[in-house]
Amino acid sequence: MTDGLALATRGLQKRYGTRLALAGLDLSVPSGVVYGFLGPNGAGKTTTMRLLTGLIHPDAGSIEVLGRPFGRGDRRHLFDVGALIESPSFYPYLSARENLRSIAASGARTTRARIEELLELVGLRERARDKVQTYSLGMKQRLGIAAALLSDPQLLLLDEPSNGLDPAGIVAMREMLRQLAQSGTTVFVSSHILGEVEQLADVLGIIAAGRLVREGPIGDLLSGEGRVRVRVAPAEVAAARGILDALADGPTARVEGDDGWLTLAISGDRAAEVNRSLATAGIYASGVEAGNDLESLFLELTAGEDAASHEGTFFGAAGTGGSRPTGPGTAR
Amino acid sequence: MRLFVAGLRKLVRRPATWVTFGLLVGLLALIYLAVGATANQAGAGGGARQGKLLVTFPGAYTLLLSFILGLGGLFAMIYGAAVAGSEWTWGTLKAAVARGESRSRYQLVSFATIGLMVGIGLLVAFGIGIVVAVIAAGLASVPTTGLDDSATIQTFPDLLLRGWLALGEACALGFAIATLARSQLAGIGVGIAAYFGEQFARIFLPEIVQYLPFSAANAVVATTRTAAASGDPAASLARLEPNAALAVVALWLIGALVVTAIFTERAEISG
Repeated sequence: MTDGLALATRGLQKRYGTRLALAGLDLSVPSGVVYGFLGPNGAGKTTTMRLLTGLIHPDAGSIEVLGRPFGRGDRRHLFDVGALIESPSFYPYLSARENLRSIAASGARTTRARIEELLELVGLRERARDKVQTYSLGMKQRLGIAAALLSDPQLLLLDEPSNGLDPAGIVAMREMLRQLAQSGTTVFVSSHILGEVEQLADVLGIIAAGRLVREGPIGDLLSGEGRVRVRVAPAEVAAARGILDALADGPTARVEGDDGWLTLAISGDRAAEVNRSLATAGIYASGVEAGNDLESLFLELTAGEDAASHEGTFFGAAGTGGSRPTGPGTAR
Repeated sequence: MRLFVAGLRKLVRRPATWVTFGLLVGLLALIYLAVGATANQAGAGGGARQGKLLVTFPGAYTLLLSFILGLGGLFAMIYGAAVAGSEWTWGTLKAAVARGESRSRYQLVSFATIGLMVGIGLLVAFGIGIVVAVIAAGLASVPTTGLDDSATIQTFPDLLLRGWLALGEACALGFAIATLARSQLAGIGVGIAAYFGEQFARIFLPEIVQYLPFSAANAVVATTRTAAASGDPAASLARLEPNAALAVVALWLIGALVVTAIFTERAEISG
């Protein structure tokens, strides 16, 4: 079912009591890419990660890891997989080096040289003898990434890997993950930091309410999610809107507030065409912005999918703000 | 083997290992020295006789071992719970499972390392206990002529092996309880409650309680002489014959490990 895929799930379901955490998840992760796995809180990202590493077992559906079925009796398939799930796990009273040695004693065989190499790679060589309980969150996270890389995995599963890292650490991690993907490792990154994923991922999967709502190469997904924003004089908004709707072959231009901004859901490449059309009609834009917006795509796909899982006021503010698409159909 | 060696290295580095052992040996020394120092001051009462019996060799050897098994059983259970619970609390079991390690193998090897540490702890504590008992005998002006009693010394391997099994059983119970609770604190708390609950229940239900883990463990090395000399009011109550106690202890140990392995295999691991 999964030629050329490093990881695939079909109809994956998981229920916690009465709550359906995954409702038939179909993921297809090509080999040798960085796959960004996005979803709002409670969408099922961590549940998916746990299922992929055999920490929990699905109620229905199947998983294929590196081209082989992965079920209860297939733990050895994980010898080729590295994982950092939720928070990094260590013995606080041991040093970084001792922790890596302890972890390396389980699962696939790992040499001591590899441990030293990884300590160097994540920048912890100088502090390798210090107890982990003295480490900052970012240092623990770096050590967690080193632990995930111990067995030189073909598939790397990372849950919020930039959590706690400083800006330099985030850049270094991004470069490292890109290099790993270039060398053939498949990197599966779960995150809700959209900017980070946008810079890192080749392929994107967006999950909401336990289902995959969009998957594909990031370029393809965002090219279909183009935005061109123009600002005209408030008195000319109605006329401009008619022109923009004609460009988009339908009534898709939205007016943002009362300061003359309009947003048109077309490819950012067509910004000049938009400007020219307005100018031809005698409407001169005082501002033009073009871009392909992952945040808009994410909010559009996930808003309203599972309102119960979005707690507090942040989601409400983002989902109802005037400048954001508020639901499927608004901007597509 | 590498899992076993790594497990030993973790335990050696772990502060709880040394704190537990230090507490056991410290209390042992404190009690023996106090007994030795006060044996002559207590007059001709029963307390003085029992105190002197405690430091009179060769009987002191068996009493010492009984003492270590009593207090050490509680400490071994706490130690087992602490180690097993922390694997869940710290997420280190999760990390091993995610690396493809067998869950039950990981747990059983972990227990094997604890068992070895407990065995070493028993040997060292017994050695230190003998030294302390000799010092206490000196304080109590009790001659140590029975110190080199060859008949008793020849029983050491058997007694220590029995003692190791008894401590291993207590340790396995703590290990199993903490695994079921997935928590150090819950494991230790429930373990301590079970330990004292059993001591209390022994007064009312001695026929049943003799088969319970801690009572059976105490009976593994007990003899009529040690039971009488221990001063324990419950000693006169029902107590299993040592070989029967050994079988009961082995069953508890195996049962605890089987429960641990099955539960870990079936557990949904999170956190």
